[in-house]
Amino acid sequence: MSTKKINGIHLEKMIKNGLMNLSLHIDEINRLNVFPVPDGDTGTNMYLTLENGVNYASTAEEAGTYLRTLSDGMLLGARGNSGVILSQFFKGFSTALAKCTWVGPGELRNGLIRGYKTAYESVVHPVEGTILSVTREGIELIRSSITRNSSIENILSMYIAQMKKTLSYTPEMLSVLKEAGVVDSGASGFILIIEGMLKCLYGEFIEADVKLKKEQKTPMLNLSMFDENSEFSDGYCTEFILQRMNDPKYKQSFSKQRFINALKTAGNSLVVIEDGKRVKVHIHTLSPAKVIAYAQQYGEFLTFKMDNMQVQHNEHDRLVEKVHKPLSIIAVVSGEGTKELFSSLGADVVIDGGETMNTSSQEFVEAIGSLDSDHIVILPDNPNIILAAQQAVKLSGKDNITVLPTKSFAQGYFALAMDVPDSDDIEYRVSQMRSGIENIMTLSQTVASRDYSFHEISCKKGDEIALLNGEIVCVHSDFIKSITDAMKIIEDIDDKETCVIFRGKDTDETDADLLSQAISELYPMMDIEIISAGQKIYHWILGIS
Amino acid sequence: MKPYVIIADATCDLSKEICLEHDIRIVKGIITLPDKTQVESPLEWDRFDRVGFYNDLKKNPDGYSTAPANVATFKKAFKDAIDEGKDVLCMTISGAISGAFGFATIAKKELESEVKDAKINLVDSLRFGPGFGLMVLYAAEKRADGKSLDETTAFIEENKNRFHQAGWLDDLSFVAKKGRLTHAKAFFGTLAGVKPIGEFDYNGLTTVLGKAKGAKAAYEVLLKYIEATIENPSEQIIVIAQTNRLAQAEAYKKMIEEKFSPKAVYINDVFPTNGVNVGPGLMAAYYVGKPISKDLSEEKALIEKFLG
Repeated sequence: MSTKKINGIHLEKMIKNGLMNLSLHIDEINRLNVFPVPDGDTGTNMYLTLENGVNYASTAEEAGTYLRTLSDGMLLGARGNSGVILSQFFKGFSTALAKCTWVGPGELRNGLIRGYKTAYESVVHPVEGTILSVTREGIELIRSSITRNSSIENILSMYIAQMKKTLSYTPEMLSVLKEAGVVDSGASGFILIIEGMLKCLYGEFIEADVKLKKEQKTPMLNLSMFDENSEFSDGYCTEFILQRMNDPKYKQSFSKQRFINALKTAGNSLVVIEDGKRVKVHIHTLSPAKVIAYAQQYGEFLTFKMDNMQVQHNEHDRLVEKVHKPLSIIAVVSGEGTKELFSSLGADVVIDGGETMNTSSQEFVEAIGSLDSDHIVILPDNPNIILAAQQAVKLSGKDNITVLPTKSFAQGYFALAMDVPDSDDIEYRVSQMRSGIENIMTLSQTVASRDYSFHEISCKKGDEIALLNGEIVCVHSDFIKSITDAMKIIEDIDDKETCVIFRGKDTDETDADLLSQAISELYPMMDIEIISAGQKIYHWILGIS
Repeated sequence: MKPYVIIADATCDLSKEICLEHDIRIVKGIITLPDKTQVESPLEWDRFDRVGFYNDLKKNPDGYSTAPANVATFKKAFKDAIDEGKDVLCMTISGAISGAFGFATIAKKELESEVKDAKINLVDSLRFGPGFGLMVLYAAEKRADGKSLDETTAFIEENKNRFHQAGWLDDLSFVAKKGRLTHAKAFFGTLAGVKPIGEFDYNGLTTVLGKAKGAKAAYEVLLKYIEATIENPSEQIIVIAQTNRLAQAEAYKKMIEEKFSPKAVYINDVFPTNGVNVGPGLMAAYYVGKPISKDLSEEKALIEKFLG
């Protein structure tokens, strides 16, 4: 298809399609968002801004009229930085086309130029490596290729291709992107809008297809994972739908099997589906040119998608690569949930010690070996493995490791929580962590797994039991009572000001609230916090300080 | 002297009553609720109640989002003032964490090209929340003292780096997620039972200078920190921001009054727009003191010494 000019009605359909295309990728764009602030809302803001424009705009045959109302709506509904820049782009675009009923190649070019210029002017301190650079280079580097005979599809395809190229350089232009290993989010969102507009011209209306697309969507790639020094051995994942043509200049005799045999030599993972005069092809190939040339003998491409698989591969390698850190932390926990909690608090290696938390020296040595750090802190979180950790330090032959003798999960938590990763003073960080474990009472609560008797305490299987620093101190039929009774035994309990409750794997929120309420009634001045930690064995662990 | 209005964006957290008393106008952004309803940034507890809002925020931290006032909103506020025959002093939340200053700048540019003689002075407060609010109050005070628009603007510009925060944030994940924390990558998760002590850096981001275990230890460190950094406390109004801990705020107020005898100590709520971005655990005092060092090294050394 070749469209030479479009009017307001076309533009309305195109922009709606652009909005729908963006809507499929909002979460991905949000995740890319690190500039200007990593608040993960670029996709949402761009969507809301454009959506407001679309809702506000009046349907009109004159392109200028439609665009003016669209732009007004966007200016009013602009959300966040990305939304404001987007609205300013459309303001410029609509200003350039204000008097047009029909938009041809020249007008489109002028609109895209005026768009980026207005966007630049709107920003107090324009920053390269953002949507600004992408919209500028997108048109400036292709403007000389636009002629009176260029089709709208052709211009938008070139515009998108150039913008994608510039997008891949954005991490080089803006260090915060490089550091985070992403491309610019606002620019990515903008490209999605234009891609949706182009798809509309090709008859691909996204609105009807939202569900299907949502399931099929692929995450955005980290393009900084491939540069001029990269090795290339994985090839391209190439997918297209070929429309076989009736024009005699194309080969007319088509055999699926012959087609497969020919493409087989060009790559692997080949899938060919024939549907009337359309052929859908998927192939992983090092030389897509061969595939394209062969297919094009039969017709033209309805859709075409090609991804560099090396980028994905390198991204994967990057994720498992060692990262050098001034200080790394190894901690021992019990259960998946607790693993997550400690990782989220900054532990670099979390060893799941299993139900008994009996981590061996060997496991510690392996953990130490996996880290590249100036200093390592180990939190054994169990009195029985402090020695194993110390032994591992000797075995490793390194003198830059501190074992903090944390005797419980709660102590390990407080040590981690007191760390100040912001500081570059390692000694200060270790002393902060050490101060975290001082004066922490650990109260653990669970159900007795068997009958038990020791000194004056005896319990039956199924009783609710509470332990203070590892020793059973209270037995009751009610778990809350067992805990509050145990708290009363703590000598200076009235001076304690903080109680962190770690919820175990088999507990629920209502019980947590009831427990918190009961403690609060007994000790109204105490600061009580509940953390859903998901530890095994102990239903409740309380760190009291 | 031509009269001027003082306009601040809603993140200054100054309540409706204070704004009325000091004749401060507010431009409001948008807050999106978990059910996707969008409402204007409230500066009073009408639609929400404080306890209910913060409890819900704690359970559903990703359910809320905020957007600053956009260009059109700023423009309208400026235009209204100009139509009344007044100039404008507009102060915004730190440009390092929000687009508001940029949007106000576009609005100013557009309006100045449209209206002859429109005079709009803009100040990037480099602060957020009640720290920014305190700065707005200083501007209002200067205006009440008869200072001109340019004199007030110059005063704020010269002194904005003296607005300190001495307080803690229970849960750093909110500020980290919203890009309001220096080295945000280093902080995740709830820090129950631990009080991260934060100060504004040169750009208005919160930087964690150290951590104290428990409120008692934190208060001790904070009072020493204020003592080491405040100037002329007896002539100052000190603002205490609190999200959902009125009792603690009152205790802190009493300690500050006893130690520094300031002119007044106000307890100021953190309303939903800022609340969404700082989370439920903010407890901090704001005051004017010595200029903050560029890399916060002096302030960090003080906190490390006091945590000792």
